[in-house]
Amino acid sequence: MRVLGRYTFAIAILVVLLVANLVMNPARFHPAAWGTLLGMAAPLIGAALASTPVILAGRGGIDISVGPVMALVSAVVIKVLYLDHGLSSPLILWPAALLIGALIGAFNGFMAVIVRVQPIVATLGTYLILGGLTLTILPAPVGPAPDWLKAMAGGWSFLPLGVIGLLWWGLSRTPFHDQLMAVGSDDRAAYTAGVPVSLVRFLAYVITGMLAAAAGMMLTALIGSADPKVGANYTLIAIAAVALGGVSLAGGKGGLLGAAIGAFDIFLLQSLLTAFNVSTYVLQVAYGAILVTAVVLIAFQDRGTKRSHA
Amino acid sequence: MSRYLTGMKARIIGAFLVAALLHLIGTVLIPGYSAPFAIRALLVIAALLAVASVGQTLVVILGGIDLSIPFIIGFANVTAAQLYGQGWHFGLVCLVVFGLAILIGALNGALSRGLNIHPLIVTLGIGMIVQGLVLIWTKGFPTGSAPKAVSSFVSIGGSFGPLPVPALIPALLVMTLLIVLVLERTPWGRRLYALGANPGAAPYALINPLWVWTSTFAASAFFAALAGILLLGFTGSAYGDVGQPYLFQTIAAVVVGGAALVGGRGSYIGTLAGVLVLTEINTLLIGLNFSPASVQAAFGAIILLLVSLYGRERHFRTTV
Repeated sequence: MRVLGRYTFAIAILVVLLVANLVMNPARFHPAAWGTLLGMAAPLIGAALASTPVILAGRGGIDISVGPVMALVSAVVIKVLYLDHGLSSPLILWPAALLIGALIGAFNGFMAVIVRVQPIVATLGTYLILGGLTLTILPAPVGPAPDWLKAMAGGWSFLPLGVIGLLWWGLSRTPFHDQLMAVGSDDRAAYTAGVPVSLVRFLAYVITGMLAAAAGMMLTALIGSADPKVGANYTLIAIAAVALGGVSLAGGKGGLLGAAIGAFDIFLLQSLLTAFNVSTYVLQVAYGAILVTAVVLIAFQDRGTKRSHA
Repeated sequence: MSRYLTGMKARIIGAFLVAALLHLIGTVLIPGYSAPFAIRALLVIAALLAVASVGQTLVVILGGIDLSIPFIIGFANVTAAQLYGQGWHFGLVCLVVFGLAILIGALNGALSRGLNIHPLIVTLGIGMIVQGLVLIWTKGFPTGSAPKAVSSFVSIGGSFGPLPVPALIPALLVMTLLIVLVLERTPWGRRLYALGANPGAAPYALINPLWVWTSTFAASAFFAALAGILLLGFTGSAYGDVGQPYLFQTIAAVVVGGAALVGGRGSYIGTLAGVLVLTEINTLLIGLNFSPASVQAAFGAIILLLVSLYGRERHFRTTV
């Protein structure tokens, strides 16, 4: 129940925005179009999910290379594997994407946990390297994506997000999840209690990398091609979605469900304001205002909980 | 304490040495790298980054981070041009721009500290609102320009008395001296370090965290606005996204200069060293005819290399 408490605000916005969208734009929100709708929201949801594990792991944990990972995965899968080498089977492309994500995640984890460079700087380095690498592989957008991948932005859009949800649910039954939350809340206490703090944090980076790769696949599915410039923009908005979904940037509080709801809130807001035909400038003010209001309200809520426990 | 000081000093001296080494490599590899005009250009570009990085240094010492700097730079850049273009007196323009920036910064600090929200999210959200409002106001097409005085103040070809550099460079040196004095010799500066080093204990030393955070973020926004106005003079016309490269560059400069993002450690001299290193790397890579994509990738790799050499954190085990 207390976990749900952190999501209260995100869910409240979700309900309000959903109703408003249904009234304003019934055709787009018709049940028959839900697959396409989720497909449009999927890259942002994926990016928000990806940003969450390292943030949960605490001590300044953050991965700003999530967006560039998405762009690199898109470039390698479409340009190098599909168009240059004719590999089109999902059984090759998905594992390849996840492997890229896992390797980059492992590199970030190595830099942040073993070399002990501050996470925002370590992943900033990766952000710049991956951005340059992507532009070298793919100077201009190319396409198209294989048909099965494009279908993942339509009727099959539930599949990748559903699999991630199931896997995370499974993971949350294992001791790893408890250790992750313990490390994020108080790494010194976790360490003295025998939790392998460094290993848990390292794995959080690997999971983040793999989720970012999955988000890259969803982005490729949505735009039906590979574009080197689109991915990087997801980084900051994904972190905003995570905060909106009640995940504490100090670590140890929140979960993937909250991040997904936060991301869907931002998507619905975008969709509603587009229906009103307002400019992207207004959209940006609305993003910022909702984000600040949400974190302020969550902070007040946290205060209330603390007092009632004291 | 003395070991900590030597460690900090070693980091700063190390960063200056790296900058000097990079400059030497550039001089050997690229003809004209050390030509007077090239050095003047390098100094001006570095000085602009140095002004933009003052605020990041202050908030990082405090254990915070300020993502609103690029948005405030863009806000000041566009607002100053727009108002000056409408015929306002430039003194009044500066008063309005700095006043608004300080209010925005104070809001950043007060919200982060007062409600205990991570400053990364607060400054990002406030920054997005500020940028959006500026875009709505100018409809995306800012007009206006900088007064001649500002342009010549930052012009690469400018001179200051007998010195062959624009007035920006001596002004930066004076500003650096003032910042170091404020950080090292005033109660406010010492409170900043104390609060950053131990946020829990500082209130027992009668330090008011809310006031220190509010004033520090206000100062950060002030320097960002200053950078925005100087950039207006440098580029000649207003551009809302002019601050975007400064988002990560200010953080990188502060960290390469030896500050710890967990707070309590850092100095503006260190940041200056970091600024010189970053500017040298950029100039060197562009001078070697790398494509923009490879410049970016090499830039990232070098930041990682430098920070892993001398910017490493203590193992959390040693803090148990």
